[in-house]
Amino acid sequence: MTPKRPKLEPIYPTLFEMENLEKGRPNKKMRGSDSSRRLSPALMFGVALVLRAGGAQGAETPIPHGTLELVAENQWVTPGHDFSLGLHFQLEKGWHIYWVNPGDSGEPLRVTWQLPPGLSPGVIEWPAPRRLGTSRIVDFGYENAVTLIVPMHADSSLAAQPLARLGAEIKVLICREMCIPGKTELSLALPVKSQRPAPDPRTRDLFAATRKELPRPAPQNWKFSVDDAGDSFVLAANVTPQITQAIFFPLAEAQIDNSAPQILLPLAPGFRLTLRKSDRLLKPIERLKGVLVLSGNHAYLIDVPVIKRGARRSNSGSGIQEIQYSMGGT
Amino acid sequence: MKRSTLHTMLVAVVICTAPLLVLAARVGQAAPDFTATASIGKAFRLSDYRGKYVVLEWHNNGCPYVGKHYRSGNMQRLQKQWTGQGVVWFTIISSAPGKQGYVTATEENEYLAKMQAAPTAALLDPTGEIGHLYDAKTSPQMVVINPQGIVIYDGAIDDRPTTDLSDIAGATNYVNLALEQAMAGKQVQTPTTRPYGCSVKYPDSTH
Repeated sequence: MTPKRPKLEPIYPTLFEMENLEKGRPNKKMRGSDSSRRLSPALMFGVALVLRAGGAQGAETPIPHGTLELVAENQWVTPGHDFSLGLHFQLEKGWHIYWVNPGDSGEPLRVTWQLPPGLSPGVIEWPAPRRLGTSRIVDFGYENAVTLIVPMHADSSLAAQPLARLGAEIKVLICREMCIPGKTELSLALPVKSQRPAPDPRTRDLFAATRKELPRPAPQNWKFSVDDAGDSFVLAANVTPQITQAIFFPLAEAQIDNSAPQILLPLAPGFRLTLRKSDRLLKPIERLKGVLVLSGNHAYLIDVPVIKRGARRSNSGSGIQEIQYSMGGT
Repeated sequence: MKRSTLHTMLVAVVICTAPLLVLAARVGQAAPDFTATASIGKAFRLSDYRGKYVVLEWHNNGCPYVGKHYRSGNMQRLQKQWTGQGVVWFTIISSAPGKQGYVTATEENEYLAKMQAAPTAALLDPTGEIGHLYDAKTSPQMVVINPQGIVIYDGAIDDRPTTDLSDIAGATNYVNLALEQAMAGKQVQTPTTRPYGCSVKYPDSTH
């Protein structure tokens, strides 16, 4: 699960500012001058953390109960070539951060970029999350270590320069039994060169491992359907491999009951997964979008039109008609 | 003898399964009744307040989302504004002993005084019974009940699911909207939202 990564060296200049908003808790780990305290979470993981040398170099920025590092996949930025940055979190045991849909509680991180003209961020690529919680309250998030990849667009007009400063203000909620909001500023200085992009060997394994965890589009020959069955949605698929495990993570909040067990019925071929609707879902939905994690931790992005139960029987036409029916009904 | 044993067993089965059969509160349906002891020592029963609007506010004094609304004075303002108009406001603490936000009656009274909070009462729910009855997921989750005892709003306090104090100004407050619209005889436009915040610290909470 934890991506293998090279031993950490002070790769990039990092600025940080932490803010612990929790009432009555002095900001020991974040702002304290005692560097051993600041290092303790990382040391608990046995991570080789290199101290900032005169403020010019840094590796991981402390966040409550963990560290965060802004990393680049390439050694430099090439005008006209898009590239990827990574937000690499390492969390103390038991602590977690949230997926884009956090589930019943919590919130996903928010990033505000400060970028030179010519650079613009894309949408965060979120690895498949895990269900975290109890029988009553279930959140979607990540424990231990996770890297969020942020695609960046580099305009061809970007001027070559020795060091371009890429800054990000991160607001992130870190929770175990309780939640602590963290705020930090990261920055990374990368040269801008006209030379072809070259991967940075220090982050190659990290990005490769992270990409393996990203949900991918389902194979084209897999057919999905979603029935609106009153109290639940029934997600069916004709997948050929034997499915013994399936967990669905909805992209939108308040569509399914996050804490309800998801009932898997293996079929030959395929399966049916029954998802209890959220009590807060008062209107029909047109499509069910999310990440489906199947046996073997294979994660797929799915986006399936929702069909009212009964529509199928009364409407014996093609799939297209079924889709039209469901869209007309909402 | 045999008969009474069987009877006892049946009663036990009924008792054991009953909590599973209780449906949590849902918007548009009757608010489940409860009786709870307040931090001031008095018992309050929800159904005694038929004829009035009632606001339920799930509270945990260690939760940063709750802190946002108390340190800014936003929650106290809402409490004063609405209780001033005859609304009954119950702050409910469903944190289990040993969990974040659990308080004794004395501690809660000190907190109320220190924060200048002004609910009708702060109800202590250390077993989580009321929380489960309303399927409360987070603090600060908010529920609004109309004079007929129907849940007319259940969800977030506002539309800014963050811990930032600066997000209070400019937020759309769903509790205000529900009360204003209902009191004006209108349909509540947004009867439910995802309640943001910290998970309620029930006895089995792990996160």
